[in-house]
Amino acid sequence: MAQNINPHYASSSNPAKQNEDTIKLKDNHAVSKRLQKELMELMRCADKGISAFPECENLFKWIGTINGPQDTVYAGHKYKLSLEFPNSYPYAPPVVKFLTPCFHPNVDTCGLICLDILKDKWTALYDVRTVLLSIQSLLAEPNTQSPLNQQASYLWSNQPAYKKYLEEFYNKNKDS
Amino acid sequence: MSNKSSELKLYWNKINYAFPILNDTIFSDCTGTEYDEVQQIITGMGIQVKVRDLILIHIEKYLRQHVAPSFWSKFIKVDEEVKGFQLFKSAVNDLYESVSNFSEMLRRLSILNTSCCDNRPIFGEKDVILGFKQLIRATLLSQLPLDYHVIINHFYKMSFNVFDNEYESSDMSEDVMCSGCWNEYSDCNCAYIVKVFHDTNRKLMDLQLLERLTGQVLTNFIQMRIESHIQKLCDGTFDVSHIGFLENWLETTVMSWLTRIYCAGSSKPPPDDKNTQNAIMQFKKKLSYYLYYSYTKLRIEQLFNIIIEYPDSQPAVDDIKLCLDKTDLRSTLCKRLQSALETRLLHPGVNTTDILTAYVSTIRALRHLDSSGVILETVTKPVRSYLRNREDTVRSVVSSLTEEGAGSELAEELAKFAAEVDGENDKDDIWDEWNPDPVDADPKVNSNDRRANDIISMLVNVYGSKELFVNEYRTLLADRLLAHNVINTEKEIRYLELLKLKFGESQLHFCEVMLKDISDSKRINALIQQDKMFEIASKNFTSNAMILSAQFWPPFKDENLELPEEIKQHFEAYTKSYEALKGNRTLSWKPHLGYVSIKIEIGSKNLDLVVSPFNATLIMHFQNKPEWTLDELHQVMKVPVTVLRRKITYWQSMGLISEKCTDTYVLVDDSDANKSNVATNQVQEMICEDDETESVMASAHDQREGELQVFWSYIVGMLTNLDSLPLDRIHQMLKMFASQAPGTECSLQELRQFLDTKVRTHQLILQGGMYKLPKS
Amino acid sequence: MKVTIKNWTGVATWRWVANDDNCGICRMPFDSCCPDCKLPGDDCPLVWGACSHCFHIHCIVKWLHSQPQQQCPMCRQDWKFNNK
Repeated sequence: MAQNINPHYASSSNPAKQNEDTIKLKDNHAVSKRLQKELMELMRCADKGISAFPECENLFKWIGTINGPQDTVYAGHKYKLSLEFPNSYPYAPPVVKFLTPCFHPNVDTCGLICLDILKDKWTALYDVRTVLLSIQSLLAEPNTQSPLNQQASYLWSNQPAYKKYLEEFYNKNKDS
Repeated sequence: MSNKSSELKLYWNKINYAFPILNDTIFSDCTGTEYDEVQQIITGMGIQVKVRDLILIHIEKYLRQHVAPSFWSKFIKVDEEVKGFQLFKSAVNDLYESVSNFSEMLRRLSILNTSCCDNRPIFGEKDVILGFKQLIRATLLSQLPLDYHVIINHFYKMSFNVFDNEYESSDMSEDVMCSGCWNEYSDCNCAYIVKVFHDTNRKLMDLQLLERLTGQVLTNFIQMRIESHIQKLCDGTFDVSHIGFLENWLETTVMSWLTRIYCAGSSKPPPDDKNTQNAIMQFKKKLSYYLYYSYTKLRIEQLFNIIIEYPDSQPAVDDIKLCLDKTDLRSTLCKRLQSALETRLLHPGVNTTDILTAYVSTIRALRHLDSSGVILETVTKPVRSYLRNREDTVRSVVSSLTEEGAGSELAEELAKFAAEVDGENDKDDIWDEWNPDPVDADPKVNSNDRRANDIISMLVNVYGSKELFVNEYRTLLADRLLAHNVINTEKEIRYLELLKLKFGESQLHFCEVMLKDISDSKRINALIQQDKMFEIASKNFTSNAMILSAQFWPPFKDENLELPEEIKQHFEAYTKSYEALKGNRTLSWKPHLGYVSIKIEIGSKNLDLVVSPFNATLIMHFQNKPEWTLDELHQVMKVPVTVLRRKITYWQSMGLISEKCTDTYVLVDDSDANKSNVATNQVQEMICEDDETESVMASAHDQREGELQVFWSYIVGMLTNLDSLPLDRIHQMLKMFASQAPGTECSLQELRQFLDTKVRTHQLILQGGMYKLPKS
Repeated sequence: MKVTIKNWTGVATWRWVANDDNCGICRMPFDSCCPDCKLPGDDCPLVWGACSHCFHIHCIVKWLHSQPQQQCPMCRQDWKFNNK
């Protein structure tokens, strides 16, 4: 569908780039098709606690929402994330970042996430749903071995203190 | 004293002699010299004014008591035209004569009046003669009887016939009757009628009574004539333009006749008589407006039929177009045509195809009538909304789009569109022909859209969605490809190419695969027939398979049918061969689809039939066992009893199976076959067609179920992540992202209503024009 | 009465014999084609790996091209085409 083609690529007038663009355009079409499918699937059988939708007319940029997992310090929290899909998706992973500041051993102050399936462990079989579910479980089970946030990593072992700090942090930042 | 009084008496007698009206008579032998003496007497006595006034009173009384009643006494209701003609003639003659009889006396009265030197107006006029005429008119009209127009009408009707005849029917000369006066030619009265006509008009003119007495009658009469003339001329024929002819008729016949009335028989008004010229001009303006008005009115009443016959009726449409500029009937036209369409077209008794044909004609005719498209838009609104509610509209449009032969106007239109796609660049050249929209145009609609839409787009727009339309085409194509008629794949491909130009490549991609499936199936069939393994299994009969790519075909109606064992084995063998041919792929059979060519030998009769798999299975069971209950059939065929009962009627109608008792069916055996009412002889000749013409595809309506639920999940999805959105953004997002879900076409209006119900049930919050989800 | 079948034209749909309905990479049904193709079946076939996972051939080839190691995206075993 023409309207789903990334406008950046749809409106090229440079004849020298034409050939290259046509290839990208064709790829783009395939990516759009897959993203459409994912969206439809996501809408059809909504999981509790995760959700996502394209941010604006651009199908390549989505906003995701994760509810903090039950029975963890994150319970009752709601985190917004941004997902950006490269033109090589699903052969390359999307770039996922927290928009709501998140105090977590594997999330840095810019919202960047350290998660293997978003890097070397990525496969084309993953999708928005599995990515969001993985991040949701990462909240419950951080990897304190390779922390991005030292303070959080250090505090993690003391759950009551962690929870106290997290609540303050969350309430201060949740609307930013 | 007595001397004096006898002198006065003498004087009075002399005055009475000069003015007999004082004794209520008119006639007198008074000569000019005699009157001079009387005048001297009057002046001598200084009683000019008194005598004059007295005379005037007596004249008035006389006119009131004698002239007017005798004039009006002739104006009676008579039926025969000739009698009316004569009565009017003599009334005018008598009036004219009695007025003439006043002339001598009036001359004397003038002299008397001059001597009065008081400059008093006589009945509003300076001049005695003019005052007298005024008095006559006033007196006459004050006594106007109710039915005065009857004989006037007769009079002018007869004379008009003579005139009309002069111009019209030179070719009728062989008739024995003169169509002017309806007498035999030998006894033709026309010349007499013309003479009387001119004579009477001249007299009325002279009395200045023409306009007042005959004006209204003449107008009514001419209008009637115009109407009947138009009616006669335009009775159901639309392929000739009449307006030029009518204009000519008005000029040559009506106007020249009128001129003759006003100009006492002359065919041209006197050049110095501005009044008459003006009167005639005014009359003509009135009458030509009336002519256009009546003609347009009539054509508007016929417009529905004119449209149906378009383009043969184009001359009539041209006429209306011309007349709409001269009259004020635009809105009448819209109203009348709209109601004509409603009463004649938009009810269950009319086929959808006929409605579509009429709609296409309407589009064409009204485009021609009004290039701005405004009338079309207004008038066809109910047609569009009616078509939208008919289930088979899309199907009819699609089938007429792709059918050749009769009713293929749309197919032509499609081909025309394809041809036009190339030469579309010259649009900019017509800027100098631009015209503003008419005042009744809907300002919400872009005028270019209104003008530019081609007929196919207009039909597709009836449904509001290209997708739905394409879907329906797909269903139709599927039915056609699976039907047992010989498929002209080449033709279907050609149409598909045309449709692709119109609807875009991606929309019709599925159809391309479907067509390819059919041609691939032929190749695969040929390969499988050569397979040794399959050859063994298929020695009893030949078979073909149509192998479909399920993802690209519309969903099939789910139906079950257990085939006879030998058929099942046959298809299993086919599947094995297929699997061998195409590694890793297998087949799922749709047992109820397809068609079977069978031969039935019953007694000495042979039937060659093409039937559905259901019917073939059924009759095969009856071959093995001549009597079955519905329940037994249900056991072996796995088809619901209700369906069995309905479908078994096919063989009943062929006379091969009859219902022995409730729900028990028997084969009608050969010995009985002759007695039964089988029309076997006829059946033998033709290859009987199965009556199962209904579509095997699920209809667009079935597919549409639950589409709003799909919307809702998308809306929840976007509001969860994007917090709050205004209506138009939600609409836009749905269009962008939900468009691949089936049938998710939804207008802004529909969406608003949908969201409103969600707000009412507290599933949504509307705050400052933004929708959001309630906090969970 | 004797009924003779002269010809029976049946209707069938074809499908791939695979243990899943959709290609995990492009998410399209196996019986449809990958997003880069227009026609299903012969023009856009499936391939199986030694690990028995299968994909549209165009999808798996693209995946293998984009990766340093030739692994099945499903099970991460080394990918080998299985010509079964």
